[in-house]
Amino acid sequence: MSAFLRFHDLTKSYYEGDVRRVVLQNAHAEFQPGEMTAILGKSGSGKSTLLNLISGIDVPDGGQIWVDGQDLTALSERDRTLFRRAHIGFIFQFFNLIPTLTVGENVSLPLELNRIPRPQAYKKAQDLLEDIGLLDRWETFPEKLSGGEQQRVALARALVHDPLLILADEPTGNLDEETGAQVMSLLARLAREQNRTLLLVTHSLEAASPAARVLRLSHGQLLEER
Amino acid sequence: MVLSLRSLLRHPLQFAIMTLGIALGVAVMVGIDIANASAARAFDLSASAVTGRATHAIVGSAQGVDESIYVRLRTDPQWRSRLESAPLVIAYAVSPQLGEVPFTLLGIDPFAEAPFSSYLGAQEQTRLEGVASLLTVPGSVLLSAPTAARYGLQPCAQRPIALDDSCRLTLSINGETKYAYLTGLLEPSDDFARRSLDSIILTDIATAQSLTGTGGKLTQIDLVLPEEFDSTALSAALPAGTLLVTSETRNSQVSEMTAAFRINLTALSLLALVVGVFLIYNAMTFSVVQRRALFGTLRSIGYTREQVFGMVLGEAALIGALGAGLGLGLGVLLGQGAVQMVTQTINDLFFVLNVRGIQIPLSSLLKGGLVGFFASLFAAAPPAWEAASVPPRQALSRAGLESKAGSAVSLVAGLGIFAALIGAVILAIPTRNLVISFSGTFAVMIGLALLTPLVTVTLMRLLGEPLGKGFGLLGRLAPRNVIRSQSRTAVAVAALMIAVSVTIGVQVMIASFRTTVTIWLEQTMRGDLYVAAQGLSATRLDTPLDPQVIDLAQGHPQTQSSIGIRVVTVESEHGPVELLAASTERPMDTRLFLSVQDSPQQTWQMLKDGAILLSEPLANRLGISVPGGSLALLTPRGWQSFPIAGIYADYASTRGTIRMSLDVYRDLWNDDRLNGLALFLAPDADVDAVTADLRAQLTDFPNIHVNPNDALREGAMVVFDRTFAITTAMQLVTTLVAFIGVLSSLLALQLEKAREMGILRALGLNLAEMRRLTLWETGLLGASAGLSALPTGYILAWILIFVINQRSFGWTLQMQADPAPFVQAFLLAVSAALLSGLYPAWRLSRMQAAEALRGE
Repeated sequence: MSAFLRFHDLTKSYYEGDVRRVVLQNAHAEFQPGEMTAILGKSGSGKSTLLNLISGIDVPDGGQIWVDGQDLTALSERDRTLFRRAHIGFIFQFFNLIPTLTVGENVSLPLELNRIPRPQAYKKAQDLLEDIGLLDRWETFPEKLSGGEQQRVALARALVHDPLLILADEPTGNLDEETGAQVMSLLARLAREQNRTLLLVTHSLEAASPAARVLRLSHGQLLEER
Repeated sequence: MVLSLRSLLRHPLQFAIMTLGIALGVAVMVGIDIANASAARAFDLSASAVTGRATHAIVGSAQGVDESIYVRLRTDPQWRSRLESAPLVIAYAVSPQLGEVPFTLLGIDPFAEAPFSSYLGAQEQTRLEGVASLLTVPGSVLLSAPTAARYGLQPCAQRPIALDDSCRLTLSINGETKYAYLTGLLEPSDDFARRSLDSIILTDIATAQSLTGTGGKLTQIDLVLPEEFDSTALSAALPAGTLLVTSETRNSQVSEMTAAFRINLTALSLLALVVGVFLIYNAMTFSVVQRRALFGTLRSIGYTREQVFGMVLGEAALIGALGAGLGLGLGVLLGQGAVQMVTQTINDLFFVLNVRGIQIPLSSLLKGGLVGFFASLFAAAPPAWEAASVPPRQALSRAGLESKAGSAVSLVAGLGIFAALIGAVILAIPTRNLVISFSGTFAVMIGLALLTPLVTVTLMRLLGEPLGKGFGLLGRLAPRNVIRSQSRTAVAVAALMIAVSVTIGVQVMIASFRTTVTIWLEQTMRGDLYVAAQGLSATRLDTPLDPQVIDLAQGHPQTQSSIGIRVVTVESEHGPVELLAASTERPMDTRLFLSVQDSPQQTWQMLKDGAILLSEPLANRLGISVPGGSLALLTPRGWQSFPIAGIYADYASTRGTIRMSLDVYRDLWNDDRLNGLALFLAPDADVDAVTADLRAQLTDFPNIHVNPNDALREGAMVVFDRTFAITTAMQLVTTLVAFIGVLSSLLALQLEKAREMGILRALGLNLAEMRRLTLWETGLLGASAGLSALPTGYILAWILIFVINQRSFGWTLQMQADPAPFVQAFLLAVSAALLSGLYPAWRLSRMQAAEALRGE
């Protein structure tokens, strides 16, 4: 089976003042369709950077990234944005819901960006919210939700447009243990049911436990852990 | 302090914009102050050059004072030893060799003048040479050495004096070309004397009389009266047609003429500063809001409220000091431009004034600097208090802050209504004091500005649904983002609203003024052709016509009838006043009568019989609202009382004019001269052909202008527009300051929203969509400011027309509220906001989503 997501010789560094800090050094890995993978790493090890590169938000200094056969590094900024809009779902540590949009509008946002007519978009968003038990919060603004609820809405937003790839950046990092476990379980279920490729980065072994495969990011290299 | 400095330097653009905002406000204020001071100083210098140490002056009716009175004062033992006197002949002269700017031709008696002024230099040698040349060489004039050097003029060769072309001056005096010889130079003994002599051509009495064609007459006799001197005895001894006045009263009367004009300019300049204060408040609030977490931390590690308060105020002090310093420099530059415009307007509307070099009073700089500095502190005090109130270890959530701002909207609107009502009450006070009137206007404007956040929130709520339907996600997001950013943008929107409403108010006022003047010109100027001599001012007929010119014009075969006009300044019981005497063959347009004692026809008959009409500004100035009563004028036969038959509309002079029958004037003043002639041609006459014909016949009189009715009216409108050039310029600066305010708000907002934008980018919003979203938001902010500005502008226009203008100049204007200025102003608000959104939008497109997300 050919890999759904793969990258090789991935290099990325930043300048902190005059000092160059290498975050990724010739990193490589392959991920199969429907696979759920966790990448473990300490704070500042480059986990978020890796996700930003895979999603096309950021560009590598060197190396290549293929998603479903598409070389992201060969795309222009605009094309990377359009690719991300259509094929990638993002979940952040701090939920990052849009404060001026209601729960319903937040969830249907990716569909609207993909020019899905609003009635259809709303229908799909409502189905998903019903699935995660938050349909009654459709008209609520994010600031009125608890952290766990906000992250569940963020999950729905990441999945609503049927992305090929779901990227989760410390999805439980801002939640208590119990809520974090609930969110992870929900994420794993939804990804499994929809057969999505899920890549989550975390520093917590517990958060990584539902993943079938675990890698560790250390000194700019990805190493198989499990 | 280190913290403050670092936080300011971390956002250099924001820091620069705040500084620039206060600098522009200070610059406009200082610039206008310098222009006003320069004009006032020029007036004082020319007044002191003329009056010197004189305490009193003997003045006469329109023809001046007979020189026999001076002879009597010098020879009559009753007066000779008790007072010092000096004769003066004063006229204005322009010369191509002196840059075609008006100079005061001052004819003096060198022997009598010594106690009065120090024109003739401190050095004995210079004094003697100057006196000798004035007395021995007819047509001899003196200039100050710096003035001669400035224009590259050399005096005639001395010992013996050689009168040749190299030292001949061509002068235009009263419309006639005359020649004089520069026989010597005056060395001013000090800076004051140098400035006093800057625009003076000095000569002796005989030469001055010869050059001005006023043989046997003096303009005035200056006197130095001892304190114990009984001036009533001297007054009683003067012949009819002459008057003893104090120099102080006379100068202050002239200076008062421009007071309203100067106060209006100062008020406009203050407006720019008010907008600048809004800007500082806005920027400081923003900078505090951005650092709430920092203040929370500082408080938790032991900073007191006072320390935090002092820290923010210290930043404002730094910005205020830098901005004020920069503003002073800019203000001096601006003053150099403004002084030209102010001088032009004073020349057009009031009196001949030649301002050389700008006057930079230390008081203007101090005032501007201190106002700028303290305005910054004042504007920063509320945000500094806000910073000091942050509880330790707590940073209020953005949502909490916005809900706080949301609940403040109604409170602020309530305060706004209260302030506007207070302003309305102040405006209703029946006073001619412009400071009170402008205070009321400011209160109304500030009150209406405080209503802007409510208008913005209401408008955005109304627009949310239709924009969402019409423009999808971006249309839905933008109005909500605007509501959500109230705490950051409300003040900038209010500042923009004020600037735009000033644009509307001033434009409607100018348009109303223009329309009123156009209609008035149509009603007043009914002749087909006008003949007048080139004068020193664009709006006053100050030069008499040569009798030959009058004969030629009246004798033209196509001339059917004519109206002769004589304009002179006469003494009234209320000081000098302009008198316009016109022949009465054709009655005035009855629509010009604002108030008459009887029917317009009977009023006209009364005028023919010796009554007078007062122009509206004069009636207002004298506190006369209905005709009746009388006014005393000094004629060569002594004081005469004239019944007031009516009040008429007149926009030619702010000081006002008395209108009288030409026959009555000629009879009382023994003066047959005319300053202007309106010709009525035969019905089938070709006006252009007659104009060309008359011009051809008058080639020997190069200073005579023959203009058809429409050309003259156009010329009048050119002067009108020139008068408002400075108003428009200042209004533009105010808009620029407001624009900077919006730009600074949007930039700061964009900084704060970077993470939100990063999320949207991560979700797939492309750069074009991000830019559109930013421009949608800024456009909506502009629309909100523009919409609020429409009624505010209308109200301001109403106040300017019916309160400020009435109280400043005494004119009644017809309000002319065309849609154009309103539409333009709305578009200006939206464009200014969109323009200020361009840079933040560009910054957004350069922003790396990864960086924004990492920034959390």
